[in-house]
Amino acid sequence: MRYIIGIGNYRMADDSIGLRIVEHIDQNGLGKGFEAVGIADEGMRLLSYLENETERIVLIDAVDLGLAAGEYRLFSPGDVQTTKVAQGLTTHEGDALKVLELARTLGYPIPPLTILGIQPGDLGPGMGLSPALQERFHTYLEIALEEVERD
Amino acid sequence: MRQNVSINVHHLTRVEGHGNIVVDVKNGKIEKMQWQVPEAPRFFEAMVRGRHYSEVARITSRICGICSIGHTLASVKATEDALGIRITPQTYKLRTIIKHAENADSHILHIYFLVAPDLFGAPSVFPLVPTHTEVVVRALRMKRTCHEWGSLLGGRTTHPNRVIPGGFAEYPTEAELKNLKQRLIDLQPDMDATVQTVLSVADKVPSFERQTEYMALSSDKEYALYDGVIQTVMPDGKKQRWPVADYKSCTNEYVVPQSTAKYTKNKMASYMAGALARFNNNYGLLHPEAKKLAEALKFKPLCFNPYMNSVAQLVEVVHSIKDSIRLLDEVLGSGYKPEDLVKPTKFGRGQGAVEVPRGILFHEYGYDDKGMCTGGNCIIPTNQNHGNIQLDLEALVPKLLAAEKDEKAIELGLEMLVRAYDPCISCSTHYLKVDFKR
Repeated sequence: MRYIIGIGNYRMADDSIGLRIVEHIDQNGLGKGFEAVGIADEGMRLLSYLENETERIVLIDAVDLGLAAGEYRLFSPGDVQTTKVAQGLTTHEGDALKVLELARTLGYPIPPLTILGIQPGDLGPGMGLSPALQERFHTYLEIALEEVERD
Repeated sequence: MRQNVSINVHHLTRVEGHGNIVVDVKNGKIEKMQWQVPEAPRFFEAMVRGRHYSEVARITSRICGICSIGHTLASVKATEDALGIRITPQTYKLRTIIKHAENADSHILHIYFLVAPDLFGAPSVFPLVPTHTEVVVRALRMKRTCHEWGSLLGGRTTHPNRVIPGGFAEYPTEAELKNLKQRLIDLQPDMDATVQTVLSVADKVPSFERQTEYMALSSDKEYALYDGVIQTVMPDGKKQRWPVADYKSCTNEYVVPQSTAKYTKNKMASYMAGALARFNNNYGLLHPEAKKLAEALKFKPLCFNPYMNSVAQLVEVVHSIKDSIRLLDEVLGSGYKPEDLVKPTKFGRGQGAVEVPRGILFHEYGYDDKGMCTGGNCIIPTNQNHGNIQLDLEALVPKLLAAEKDEKAIELGLEMLVRAYDPCISCSTHYLKVDFKR
């Protein structure tokens, strides 16, 4: 199975980008040959998709890349190191990289996984995306769809 | 007694969201003791205005990623009340099963990942991975079953889209429900091991009591999670009930200077909601296996120790698993089949309440004659607990000072108290912050 997984907080503007892409895929029936999953606030749910049978995961998340708002990078977890200090795995402290670190330590199979990291412009309270991300929404969508089908 | 203490816990860790603990003791006198909640308001009540009744739960389920099932259920129930919809017995049972799933999922997360580190003397779950590998692996295994249990009925991992006014938009197959039942039965060894783990650290649960009022949904026919009336039990054991429609007169929201979240109170200066409140109100209706666990832990109502909220959560996990197996048997044994949605019979105002992991949750909406929302209200359980947390802290600090605890021990005791309430102040972002390796 292949997955596009969105993670983030729906109520905090650009942090919701992954969830909104997943929702768009869901609402428009674009999930052919893969499953689109929104795990929202709870990064630990990512563990359910780390299986031997999983062929590929594309994880979409807001990422502080030091770029201009709306710019993005595709990378694998091994390309980066987290600079967030996390005490635990609450929905607020446990980012996806921490969850993957835990999974690796515990011997979970780690399938090919690409992160589509999008530089947020606004992480304050709000139920919409900032203009910079809204403008490129379909670009992110196309990249995710292309990436999930990659061999 | 310690004369000078200064504690400033900014964004307490291992709770869902942002809360601060501030204590200032000078010359033996407590000058400041505050539980602060610097949460930004989210204005969901305004977002639903002008929306069709079929859209409202989809919006309000986003209030919280952890309790999105509970918000969906409370929202749908309030809408159904406003629209004169009476759901079928099958819908009632399936919704109760998904409610059990959410509570069990959240409780497992709280017990294993947020509370256990304190009891094992670790700062977080990460140091426990090499030393208690089997415990961590078991916790993740249980958590996975719980989340897939909710996803099966809700249609999604979070923000369920199958639960809609009048029933369900889609149904799991009979085979999927049978498989779910087997997976719940298969949880038993992990549940037994969990009980043993908790028993091994039970003496680490701090002993502190403060009498307060406990509020929960209550019903004569079941341990109320999906449905019931409002009930409180007072320190002398006296119980009083109110219809859900009267929720405002029981919650009496008010504002305090140190918090952006509203506080609530009923008969006493504050009340507690959550697993311990449900346990204290509805103990007699727990599944026999859940009661057996409570007895093994010498845990019985009325319990005035807020730290025992986490233990009440464990008892509830047993109840939720066992009661869901019973409900699945009933659903599968009585001609399970997809049902048509029950249609509205009126448009007006309605209220709905469910028990989410952290306590009683209220939603209310009004609809015009076209089914468009004219206004909404929502009172979440974490806000209902803020007043009780504040008064607990005020009672606990003098005890810790008198016991000559050092500042670090006092800080840990206060943090553990707040964590026991499992507060969920979901305002944070989850973005990654990374450096590319060269």
